[in-house]
Amino acid sequence: MRRFLPAILFLFAGLAVPALEAAGTVQVVLKDAKGQPVADAVASLTKLDPPAPVVTPPADPVAIVQKDEEFHPYVTPLVVGTRVTFPNEDSIQHQVFSQSEAKQFDIPLYRGASKEIVTFDRPGVVTLGCNIHDWMKAYVVVLATPYYSKAGDDGKATLSELPAGHYHLEVWHPLVAGKVERDIVIAASDETTQVIALTLKPDRRIRRAPDAGGGGYK
Amino acid sequence: MGRFQSFGTKLLLLFVLVVAAAQFATYFAVSRANRTNARALIAQDLGTAGGVFRQIVAERNDILATGASAATSDYAFKSLVARASDAATVASALSSVRLRIRADLVTLLSLEATPVASTAAGQVSGEVLKQLVTAADADASDNPRATGYGYLDGQLYSLVTAPVRAPDIVAWIVVGFRIDNKFAQRLKGQARVDVTFADQDARILATTLPLPVAQALSGDIPRLRTQAAVVTLPLAGESSMVSTSTLPAGGNLSATLVLQYSLDEKLRPARQLERLLLVVACGSLVLAGLLGSAFARQLGRPVEALAAHTRVIAGGDYATRIELRRSDELGRLAAAFNQMSAGLAERDRVRDLLDKNVSPEVAAQLMRDGAALGGEEREVTVLFADLRNFTSLSEKLPPREVLVLLNRYLDRMSAEIERHGGVIDKFIGDEIMALFGAPVAHGDDADRALSAALAMQAALAQLNGELAAEGRPPLAIGIGLNTARVVAGNMGSARRLNYSVIGDGVNVAARLQSLTRNPEYHASILLSGATLRSARGHYRTRPLGNLAVKGRAEPVTVLALDPT
Repeated sequence: MRRFLPAILFLFAGLAVPALEAAGTVQVVLKDAKGQPVADAVASLTKLDPPAPVVTPPADPVAIVQKDEEFHPYVTPLVVGTRVTFPNEDSIQHQVFSQSEAKQFDIPLYRGASKEIVTFDRPGVVTLGCNIHDWMKAYVVVLATPYYSKAGDDGKATLSELPAGHYHLEVWHPLVAGKVERDIVIAASDETTQVIALTLKPDRRIRRAPDAGGGGYK
Repeated sequence: MGRFQSFGTKLLLLFVLVVAAAQFATYFAVSRANRTNARALIAQDLGTAGGVFRQIVAERNDILATGASAATSDYAFKSLVARASDAATVASALSSVRLRIRADLVTLLSLEATPVASTAAGQVSGEVLKQLVTAADADASDNPRATGYGYLDGQLYSLVTAPVRAPDIVAWIVVGFRIDNKFAQRLKGQARVDVTFADQDARILATTLPLPVAQALSGDIPRLRTQAAVVTLPLAGESSMVSTSTLPAGGNLSATLVLQYSLDEKLRPARQLERLLLVVACGSLVLAGLLGSAFARQLGRPVEALAAHTRVIAGGDYATRIELRRSDELGRLAAAFNQMSAGLAERDRVRDLLDKNVSPEVAAQLMRDGAALGGEEREVTVLFADLRNFTSLSEKLPPREVLVLLNRYLDRMSAEIERHGGVIDKFIGDEIMALFGAPVAHGDDADRALSAALAMQAALAQLNGELAAEGRPPLAIGIGLNTARVVAGNMGSARRLNYSVIGDGVNVAARLQSLTRNPEYHASILLSGATLRSARGHYRTRPLGNLAVKGRAEPVTVLALDPT
């Protein structure tokens, strides 16, 4: 279902701004202090000059899957109003909760298809957890702009089909404290590259360890 | 072998022996003390290590039980357990608990000790779990707890229980940590002894020892398990002290904790000291040998010189002096030798002079008692002898010849007196005064005196024979004898003195001598009754009546002594 989303967005954009033939592209290259690419960063652009773009949530809910006692994907960027389901593909039960300001909810232990569909109706970062599995963690980045992209393993997030104008660029990453932002100008048919060095905090998370064995005298 | 007879060699041997004895006694005493001490220390360390093990286990159990209590108080967990969810979900939640409290094993048990779910695929023996739950049930405290040991997949775990409350106790959670090499190392880090855990079949579970050593130790474990005390056994080429304790792990399962410390390792610093001590001992032995021989030489040479000098003195040479330029005892000894030589020479000289001037007995008495003034009262037989008509004889002859004749006469008479133990008191011209019984009493002094008088008469007869052959006129003699108590001693001034006797008895003897001139008596030897009473022998005497002596109340009985 999700893979049709860009196509739908593209369709909408085409319909809404028929006069706008030429559009710009921004490639945000994210690196850490050592120059290594940073994956799972979300880059978003907020248009500063009118007309403000229309933000339309997708018609179908987005799925964040529980599989092998982990959430997939780890980071999910979406626009305000997007509905999300939490299908449990494990044989054991899971629970999903959020104490984040942007969205608080609590889905009791369940197995199989998500019993509840959660609508993320306010922008902000929502941290998901499972209260019986400390190591399970995921992020939902709720955005008020249609222009966003999540960096892949190569650390590159590509934002295209951007109308010319002034933009506010924001980069979010679970390990980046505070905001990484800058204002940029995009010209028609322009293709620019923004290289951003991120200072990452240490990745403190509860890691799963093998349950038994290992270390003993054999 | 002659060298061993020398004083120097003996001294050297003594020196070396004393130093060797002292040094080696010290070495062995120190070595022995070190060993005893090391054993005591290890025994103590092993005891402490056992305590440390129990303490570490207790603390870790406490941490795990406390953590488990906190983790299972989590609402999500409570609801999971209370809702009797499926075992797989509970197991995954237990994994979460396990990670929270850093345990190696978390198992959820029903109130009846039936395992519900566990982080491990295998299961600790039901017997152990049952024991734990029974013990925890029996604990009436607010936080019931039970501890024990159990095997899981062939590995030893320390186990502790904690209740799961919702809010009543709805289940038991058993938390464990694995007793593995890491744990053994940690124990060693604190207890400073080597640690080995083995199962009931002596299979090594965990150890701080290198693998081959641990395997060697494994063979001894069944025997060690039966020993309560600390045992010393050879291990990996060293001597090790070992103590064991048994950890029951349910039914016939158990584990053995082997604590061990190498005696050699403990002794290593002491051995270093001992080696040093040995080096010092050998060094001081060599030094003692060198010093001893030097000292012995220093002592031996003068002793030999003194010995040689003794032989010189013994040979009668009092003139040679020994020269030892030393300020010690030997130097003083040499000086004393020289003084002795001088003293001997002086005594020889004095004795020589004395012998010529006084009789040998008086000389001996003087040498012995010194020339002090004073005297003692003793019974003495006094003899006076006088040449008859000596005055007219001396007128006929030249003075030199008179002296020669007189000396000849006196020499013969003196010889007879001395032969009979008499002492020449003095010569008064041609008169001889002799003493019998002073300064030395013989017990038969009167007899000696009488015999001497007769011998003098005979000697004079012989001299007269010689004089007749020379064409000279014969000599006649008169002898008086008296025995009386007199005072004998040195008389005179402090500068010049004579050994003599004084007393009334002396005058009586002189008087008797002068009476021999009386032709009525027809006697040349007169004696007093006192002398005859003192004498024990039989003599031919003739009583001549009494003689009144001046100053005496009783008259003196006069007797003539005739030759037999």
